[in-house]
Amino acid sequence: MDSVAEYLSLDEPDRSSHLWRYTPWRGIHPTGDVSRVPKLESPVLGLIGFDGGAVPDGISIEEGVHSDIILPGTDALTGTFLRAVTGNSQWTLRVEPEFSSEHPVILDIDAGDSASVLHLALKVGRLSDLELVTRIRGSGEWFGMLRTGDIGEGSSINDVVVSLMDDGTLLRVDSISIGRDAQVRAGTVSSGSECTKADLRYRMDEPGGSLRVLGSILAAESMHLDHHVEIHHEAPETFSRLAWHSACDGDSRTVGTGMLRVADGSTGADASQVFHNLLLSADAEADSIPELEVLEHEVVGCGHGTANGPIDEDQVFYLESRGFDPSEARRALIAAFLNTTLSEMGSDSLHDWLVGLLNSELRTPDA
Amino acid sequence: MGSGESDIEALLEIRNLHAGIDDTQILKGIDLSIAPGEIHAIMGRNGSGKTTAANIIMGHPDFEVEEGDVLLSGENLLDLEPWERAREGVFLSFQYPQAVPGLQVGNFLRKSVASIRGEEAAKGADFRRELNEAMDTLDIPRNFLSRYVNDGFSGGEKKRFEILQLQLLRPKLAILDETDSGLDIDGIKTVAAGVNAAIRGTESAALIITHYSRILEHVRPDKVHVLIDGRIVATGGPELATELEENGYDWIEGRVGAESVA
Repeated sequence: MDSVAEYLSLDEPDRSSHLWRYTPWRGIHPTGDVSRVPKLESPVLGLIGFDGGAVPDGISIEEGVHSDIILPGTDALTGTFLRAVTGNSQWTLRVEPEFSSEHPVILDIDAGDSASVLHLALKVGRLSDLELVTRIRGSGEWFGMLRTGDIGEGSSINDVVVSLMDDGTLLRVDSISIGRDAQVRAGTVSSGSECTKADLRYRMDEPGGSLRVLGSILAAESMHLDHHVEIHHEAPETFSRLAWHSACDGDSRTVGTGMLRVADGSTGADASQVFHNLLLSADAEADSIPELEVLEHEVVGCGHGTANGPIDEDQVFYLESRGFDPSEARRALIAAFLNTTLSEMGSDSLHDWLVGLLNSELRTPDA
Repeated sequence: MGSGESDIEALLEIRNLHAGIDDTQILKGIDLSIAPGEIHAIMGRNGSGKTTAANIIMGHPDFEVEEGDVLLSGENLLDLEPWERAREGVFLSFQYPQAVPGLQVGNFLRKSVASIRGEEAAKGADFRRELNEAMDTLDIPRNFLSRYVNDGFSGGEKKRFEILQLQLLRPKLAILDETDSGLDIDGIKTVAAGVNAAIRGTESAALIITHYSRILEHVRPDKVHVLIDGRIVATGGPELATELEENGYDWIEGRVGAESVA
């Protein structure tokens, strides 16, 4: 069955599904008619060094995807849909084994001003050491991105996706396998699109893998940002942490749903997920639902938690007592809240870059 | 019983201050006058109103002033918001400083100095030198700057960080709310040295709020006031702190009671 037929064979999901409780599929589909598989444009991709120059040897981008896997999870609808519509927009980002770069590499994705879509396969060779920033920008009404791939054994990868779309809808699906003893930090920084639906899945099916999934989400006005994160422990001695911070202003809404699965046989697994939401207005709304499925008894620990709250007035008073005016105090506290996850996404230079980006969104002093 | 005459030269003048929280009156008529360059101490038991007085001067929104004035160099602070008071030169060293995870100490200090002393004061080599010298005085390591404000700090680190801010912000009036609590004797000496460096020999003034006389052995106050049940019941020189330490608050309450009867 080809990918179009596979998509069309699926039922439209309803709200009883964990993944679709808050954001209906027809609200995300590029036409709203879920029975259609529309033709979409391709974005313009560029691989550039952190200083704007050329990237070092050993990392490249090429057209075409030779193999991909959509990880099993809650359901496969979004991934299947994106695979069906990315026939002419497939790329592979290849990182040679033992690649190492002193500075982060930026994958710039210009989604243009029309509906566009991308399938990006990540092929990260063994023992690689890389910080990759995927920067999405554009003014189109719809952009979809499917990322599939493998992180080679023993690699150390900081993989940060930054969404800076002016408006419109972003559909993002990640389906990433993490190799033996690989260490991955997967960061998401989102403050652009009017509506986001992200379905991020990671699988550790070889021993020793380590994963930190981090989110810094800033929602304003009437934005609706829905992120679903699944982490699958399928091998012994695997480690994961999910820390997701969302700040919601105006009448925006953020949704964070987590699914942590520890399979039978994943002895020594150590996993936790925490969602924190900062509510900045009376009309803002944040929903977080972490869920666990633990089928192995011999684990180090598996936990989850969530917390919602407004800005702490005692913190505001402390900053005001140091000369911050009320708006400066508020912006500094929002930046600080988002910075606690931002600072975990990578090196100091990457962090400085991300803070600059965040501050330009907040027009705030440094976090 | 008042603690000072009305004085147009006063840096801080509190007149007949009545204040409280949630319909509970805590301060019941405070009068206090501190001249430039002076260090005063307020001593009192838990619940006597010491921290309330500090919060009222800084402008904490939870506290309500029912009556009276708080003047800084003749300007009524009660008309100003907390951040305006800070920019006018009021500094409060908190008993329990707030942690702000995600806000780096270095950036916080630069922003605070820029807000209070102006943008130029927080820039360049001069600021870095001033910062380094103050950190050295307080025995604070350089990596402190990349930590988050009060996040995971020990009790001693929090107090030293408050005094670091005192030194950098150069306020006209520093209020130290139990800055000595939770410190060992070396910590008290370090903090006291920081207070002396910030206040002695300047036109600034300090109001030290404390339970104990230990810090006052290292920061010699010009006057000591005893606060009981929202009123200043005694004022004296540094020897009053020593007498209190030796005889306890029952002694001063008994003395005040006897004077009232007489």
